[in-house]
Amino acid sequence: MVPPRPPRPVQPQRLALAALALLAAGGVVSSCSRQRGDQLRLGAGIALTGNAGLLGQDARTGLDLAQGHYADRAPGLELQLEDTGSDEAGATVAFRRLINAKPVAILGPSLSQQGFAVMPMADRAGIPVIGVSTTAEGIPQIGPFVARVASPVTVVAPLSLAKAVQLHPGIQRVAVFFAQDDAFCTSETQIFQRAIRAKGLELVAVQRTSVSDTDFHIPITNVLRSRPQLVVISALVSDGGNLVRQLRELGYSGPIVAGNGLNTPNIYPVCQRHCDGLMITQAYNPKLDNASNRTLLAGFRRGRAADAVPPQVTAQAFTAYQVVHEALATLKGSLPQGTTLTSLPLPELRQRLLKTLLAGTYQTPLGQLRFTPEGDVLQRDFSVARVQMNPDGRSGRFVQLP
Amino acid sequence: MDALLIDASLLQQMLIGALLGISVYLPLRCGQLSLATPGFYAIGGTLAALLSTRVDALGGAEPVYPLSSVLLEMLLAAALAGGLAVGIGRVVLRLRGVYLAIATIALVEILRVTTLNQESLGGAVGIFGIPQPFLDPQGYALFTLIALALVCWLCDRLERQRLGRAMEAIRDDELAAACQGIDTDRTKLVAFVLSAVVAAITGVISAHFLNSWNARLGNFDASITTLAFVVFGGSRTWAGPVIGGLTLTALPELLRPIGDLRLIVFGLVILVGPLLLPQGLITPERLRLIRGLLHRGAKP
Amino acid sequence: MQDLTQLLLNGLSTGAVYALFALGYTLVFSVLGVINFAHGAVFTLGAYFTYFLIGGAAGANGLLAGLQLPFALPFWLALPLAGLGAAAVALLIERTAFAPLRQRNADPLLALITSLGAGVVLVNLIQLLVGAESYAIPTGALAGLPAAVRIGGAQVRSVQLLLLLVAAVLLTLLTLWIDGTRSGKGLRAVSEDPTTARLLGIPSDRMIQIAFGLSGFLAGIAGGLVGLSVSIAGPYFGIGYGLKGLGVLVLGGLGSVPGAVLGGLIIGLAEACVPADLSGYRDVVAYGFLFVVLLVRPQGLLGRVLPSKV
Repeated sequence: MVPPRPPRPVQPQRLALAALALLAAGGVVSSCSRQRGDQLRLGAGIALTGNAGLLGQDARTGLDLAQGHYADRAPGLELQLEDTGSDEAGATVAFRRLINAKPVAILGPSLSQQGFAVMPMADRAGIPVIGVSTTAEGIPQIGPFVARVASPVTVVAPLSLAKAVQLHPGIQRVAVFFAQDDAFCTSETQIFQRAIRAKGLELVAVQRTSVSDTDFHIPITNVLRSRPQLVVISALVSDGGNLVRQLRELGYSGPIVAGNGLNTPNIYPVCQRHCDGLMITQAYNPKLDNASNRTLLAGFRRGRAADAVPPQVTAQAFTAYQVVHEALATLKGSLPQGTTLTSLPLPELRQRLLKTLLAGTYQTPLGQLRFTPEGDVLQRDFSVARVQMNPDGRSGRFVQLP
Repeated sequence: MDALLIDASLLQQMLIGALLGISVYLPLRCGQLSLATPGFYAIGGTLAALLSTRVDALGGAEPVYPLSSVLLEMLLAAALAGGLAVGIGRVVLRLRGVYLAIATIALVEILRVTTLNQESLGGAVGIFGIPQPFLDPQGYALFTLIALALVCWLCDRLERQRLGRAMEAIRDDELAAACQGIDTDRTKLVAFVLSAVVAAITGVISAHFLNSWNARLGNFDASITTLAFVVFGGSRTWAGPVIGGLTLTALPELLRPIGDLRLIVFGLVILVGPLLLPQGLITPERLRLIRGLLHRGAKP
Repeated sequence: MQDLTQLLLNGLSTGAVYALFALGYTLVFSVLGVINFAHGAVFTLGAYFTYFLIGGAAGANGLLAGLQLPFALPFWLALPLAGLGAAAVALLIERTAFAPLRQRNADPLLALITSLGAGVVLVNLIQLLVGAESYAIPTGALAGLPAAVRIGGAQVRSVQLLLLLVAAVLLTLLTLWIDGTRSGKGLRAVSEDPTTARLLGIPSDRMIQIAFGLSGFLAGIAGGLVGLSVSIAGPYFGIGYGLKGLGVLVLGGLGSVPGAVLGGLIIGLAEACVPADLSGYRDVVAYGFLFVVLLVRPQGLLGRVLPSKV
């Protein structure tokens, strides 16, 4: 390597000065955001960018709606939202910021894969952390401060499988696809496979994929060789949507059951008219008639179509906020006259919030909710929906199956 | 704590960046562009994750993971990485220039995919719940600072000794260096092994700091980021990758309030840096200047 | 027999994409001796251009939320236009990331870095402008064609056959151009010896720009076709192809056009041969080839042996 000519001395110093100025400015700005007001702070770590970005955006909608609804109800809550990105590293950074901001509780993260990485951090710091869409097995068991409002995959997954078998009697041969590099998908597929065997069906193929895959013609042609009559998919939106589309294009016409990763209207642009017929369990039924669901629907439909249906994770995020708010209100009511929530030392406030939260019963958009002592949610109402695409292939809806 | 410009966990990330920068810098000193650093970083991290979570004797169940276990992990990681580096280096260091770079990229990817597919190494989901030797980021930052200081001191001594000058000679003109009697193969191998050891040790610290580990942490993106540290900070002296690692790790975090723009700025730095500062920010001349200023300041 | 046909078809489909991608890499390498790490970003850009030209709308995130062009072109027209757009961007990259370093006679290593920086800027600019969500080119773009075709008992998606066809046509045209036309031969001359070429009056700067423009055009077309076949999974969807493309490049021989195609097809076929239960290792195939070739025969299958100059 020939040493190049040395650069002119003036420019690099200016560059260094500019860099230092930027660093200083950035530091001032970021430290300003850490002032603590006299309101209680609720942290939320949601995936707003990356593969899971759309899931996070939907959750954010729910949080915004809840914040708007509870804004004029005591106790006052200040929502601090941080973007976790779609990987563990981003979640770690976001959760560190949230923990430093001294919240009374934290909602999130979006993915179970991130949950296993960052929920222990919040748990160690003694902050109640409530999963909004983390449904993998083992999440509430991470620690005493970890809970979730999203029903575990052990409960949800077998329902769609059961419905598919009920609607198509005579199915014997089942093939399974799952994304092996996601904690939720690997967890969900175990449940599906267990349920398949429990029903006495024949598991003819188990094909691993990756969440970053988009071209599945090789795994699909491999699997179709064993002539499955039912296909079960545990994947996320981008990969799952492509998988469904390519399965249909390569000639598979049997029923397809999909896991919670594809449970969102975001699959429409990916598999388009091929999304039609997909069966997925729903934890949220928009037709449920209670006060909080009416609030959610009213807020969601402002500025949208009159019959617009919120995605499941929007309802789950709203529910999480509601549960925290109601628990705080209950806690406030139990305090002696004259003491406010903010006067309690923070660690004690968090402990008592956790106890109150887990002990309560809530009427939420998801129906009636209670919690196990471990922090897992007990939800009463579920349904299975089938995707029905419109003739233009661009929009569709989830139709509840009876 | 609120008023600090940079909090302890950001400082920790910056120090890790500096260490990785040094790891990339060492082979570069011999004129070898090796992008294998993330691979050895991953080896160190995976080893630490596996040992601390699977080997009970090391004290993973205790509330505070003993420091002696961490040091043991570092020793083992250094030995493993060093051994692999000797084997791989013998084979790969025959290649020159961009060929070596591509070969090391391929190595890192092969390692990543293998780890991803082997359940015993954590598999696709990774290893969670890695025990913590320090209960707060300040502890980690101090520990890493000491490690960095040690590594920098070693590099400084290296640069003054025969080995360091031999490396420089090879970078300037390998054939001429060989003609002068320098054992080029051995020198390049030593640089490669040292780079692997530094990366592996950094991986051990990182695994504990991040609390979870998976195969995605040693990937091509990391190759490029760590290379940028050296290109930006300077590739002629150890102070270069340290400054580069510190600044370029801090920059995206401190600029975070500007949102997605930070990655574009990062890219611009990599795009424009080599044009404005071909030798990087810290060159030997500037380092001597800074040292001179410091000495002059110390004199009464 | 059916299995073998399926294997062949699968391999050729994948291989065609890799070959198209690697063609761009190889063109730039042949005239500059450096790898353009921004190639993956240009490929991605081609996919996005195609999407917007056929009338797609930007999603709700990003600065250009809801952007939709006032016209919608048919796919067969949008694709080459997207290619031209990508070519323009590639030329811009040449001017900003490569030319200044060449003028200063800087270390070729630095061009690797600057091109990488250019790639990072492009990809994140895309994310800033149109968001990170998936975009899919409506399947109706191939109006009239059946979704899949049966050949000898094996199934292949029509869009994959289209890719194969386009790759074959482009390759033939490219080879004809390089062997037949004056500028094509000039390109070959510059790749063999830039100094002599300049002495003979061939404008090497112009040749380099032509090489970049062509590589951008090919990448753009490849991106659009892949975007049709599978959706555009986000601004990072070209990165994986970029890395595997390196393997194809090295296997075929850096700087060799037929080598790029041969390398692409071989790696495509090898990936198709990976048994189903080891499918997680499919990605390793390309890198394994890369590694082995570099150690055993660095010039690749059809590359020239470059003597090291003293």
